[in-house]
Amino acid sequence: MADTGKLDRRGFLKGAVIASGASIAVEAHAQSGAPAQPKAAKAPLPTAAQHAAENDTPSELAPLTTTKTGSDFMVDVCKTLNLDYMASCPGSTFRGLQESFINYGQNKKPEWLTCLHEEVSVGMAHGYAKVAGKPMAAMMHGTVGTQHAAMAIFNAWCDRVPIMLFTASAGPVEDRRPGVEWMHSVQDGAATVRDFIKWDDYPWSLQSFAESTARAYSLATAQPPAPVLITADGKLQEMPLDAKASEKLTIPKLNIGTQTVADPNALRDVARMLVAAQNPVIIADRYARSQAGMDNLVKLAEALQAPVIDLQNRMNMPTTHYLCHSARSAALVGQADCILSLEPVDLYGQLNRVTDQLERTSRRKAKADVKIISISTHDLMVRANYQDFQRYSAADISITADAEATLPFLIEAVLKESGARRSDFEARGQKLREAYKGIADRARADAAITFDSTPISGARLFAELWNIVKNDDWAFLTSNNYVGNWQHRLWPMEKHYQYIGSSGGSGVGYEPVAALGAALAHRDAGGRLPIAVIGDGNFNMAPTTLWTAAHHKIPYLAIIQNNRAYHQEVMHIQRMANRHNRGVENAVIGTTITDPNIDYAKLAQGYGAVGIGPITDPKDLADALKKGVAAVKAGEPVLIDIVMQPRG
Amino acid sequence: MRLLSLASLATLLLSPALAQDAQAPAGDIKNGEKHYISDGCYQCHGVGGNGAALTGPRLSRTEFPYEAFINQLRHPGSDMPPYEASIVPDQVVADIYAYVKNLPPSRPAKDIPLLMGMGVK
Repeated sequence: MADTGKLDRRGFLKGAVIASGASIAVEAHAQSGAPAQPKAAKAPLPTAAQHAAENDTPSELAPLTTTKTGSDFMVDVCKTLNLDYMASCPGSTFRGLQESFINYGQNKKPEWLTCLHEEVSVGMAHGYAKVAGKPMAAMMHGTVGTQHAAMAIFNAWCDRVPIMLFTASAGPVEDRRPGVEWMHSVQDGAATVRDFIKWDDYPWSLQSFAESTARAYSLATAQPPAPVLITADGKLQEMPLDAKASEKLTIPKLNIGTQTVADPNALRDVARMLVAAQNPVIIADRYARSQAGMDNLVKLAEALQAPVIDLQNRMNMPTTHYLCHSARSAALVGQADCILSLEPVDLYGQLNRVTDQLERTSRRKAKADVKIISISTHDLMVRANYQDFQRYSAADISITADAEATLPFLIEAVLKESGARRSDFEARGQKLREAYKGIADRARADAAITFDSTPISGARLFAELWNIVKNDDWAFLTSNNYVGNWQHRLWPMEKHYQYIGSSGGSGVGYEPVAALGAALAHRDAGGRLPIAVIGDGNFNMAPTTLWTAAHHKIPYLAIIQNNRAYHQEVMHIQRMANRHNRGVENAVIGTTITDPNIDYAKLAQGYGAVGIGPITDPKDLADALKKGVAAVKAGEPVLIDIVMQPRG
Repeated sequence: MRLLSLASLATLLLSPALAQDAQAPAGDIKNGEKHYISDGCYQCHGVGGNGAALTGPRLSRTEFPYEAFINQLRHPGSDMPPYEASIVPDQVVADIYAYVKNLPPSRPAKDIPLLMGMGVK
């Protein structure tokens, strides 16, 4: 633009500041008491506004609108990733992107989901991915949003779940407005969470955004999967994008690789070791991510006629299969002469235990000479700081490969090696059939002990619930460990989507948020009845999930296991009090959630969900569950508050 | 009282003479119920002594002989927190033992149609 001596928009604002400053200086001088200089008799200076009005012409004003921006291109990039949802609590650093998603992107693929906390956004994506089998996206405000989301990201990292994370920053310093934009800007948007994400980038051009986002998706879904994070620069989002600049941009083809499989020589050795064993045991941990994974585990177990211990970090083994012996874990590990561990989270813990007494001691659970085989991607993603890698434990054969992708080849190798042993295997299988028969009987006997108790027991809850939903296509959204794990003991769990394991990182607050995301995936799958049993302490970390569920019409049954405490911590403090010989009566201080008791049903109603309870009498349970299930089938999110035993 | 080894504990549990529990001191059931709550037994073993899979076994109508019961309390062979006599005196242990030993029996599973109807056969 030629220098005409006229003011553009920025020059106008600068002039206004100078003029205002000059005016203040004159007044200050007048109040100082110094002798006043004689004033020249002349007309007053024009105000900046007058000056601008006289000298600027509308045609020379900087453009105030545009038809396409960098954020539109970013949406084009994201649309190539087959993302169904973007969960977010709003934040100004990504205002350009949000507007582009909902208008330019027509709020489809991905659809924007409104969450009331970033921990909810990320936790939803965590639960969703475990049911849908693909990542969902979550957008976090610059700095503060990422800080809010950090624990949920950590849970997903520990649980090896892929999430497409986005955050943003306000752009270069000369463009930032004073104040808040600086607070929410960051040199390195991923630094807060880099210890527990797989990869991140802060692209400084739109082309770089396209390539980095595609790379991030590929890395997130490669085994072992994990969250990845892209920082969307504010200036890139909001910069006008003309046709010429658009033509230069390309969106790369998404690269989805096959997963790592064990080498054939190692598999042959594994097969020989398993076939030669008298008491082989298969332990499946974070193993199956699909129905095919479950089916192959059954095939391997049948090929060997070996019992399977499902550690329930995923839905690995049908509870109705006669080789599912999870309830006999201690005895089987103790007797085993060969253990095959599939995707172990903690191999040391599978073989040893450490007491929680004043002097900690460790004890071997398995035989000293047991042969250990591990197939896992664990060693492909270990970081130094956070200690989720667990204690080092060596295996006789340690295979770094994806267990699910490897299993078909291992089955083939076992079948090839086992010809001479088939009759031995059949005899072993017959014994295991007999042992299996007693497992459910013992579970029923255990359940009977607590059936009539008050407060209500987990056994009663799951028995009443089964009676109501047994003809539905139900699925659990939570692990239910603290209510006795009755679904794995007495329910026919046969489909992979019926169970998604637990949080991974034991960050409290996972249950309500992951349940919401998993329920969303079940809704889209059609016709399923999602059920979550959520601890009251866990629920209190993210009660706003119910509003998101109501707003986006995500039906699920949220049963609050209300023991009115952070009960794990009650027991910890009780343990310390006993250890110090001080009595346990004060263990409730800082651990219980009483006085006043929280009315969870009212809370749910306030967020727009159906709220039922509190239910304190076991005789009222069936009616409450019937009402709740009916409302879920009608499309409502439902909370039932059940006052329950501290555990089990 | 000296810590019993696991082997001796097993002997206690299996011994017919001790199983009859002739040596259990007299206990006040009412006081035992009070202390079962105030001393926090229920936190791991459940209100009513029902037990829980992850935290503590069933105590209701326990088959533990008294000697094994108090020994487990004083010198737990597992992760259970120890209760010394300065915190729970021997007489209170006897009262708690009397309480859990005399809790009403639960219905057998075969008499509970809801349990028998549950999925896995």
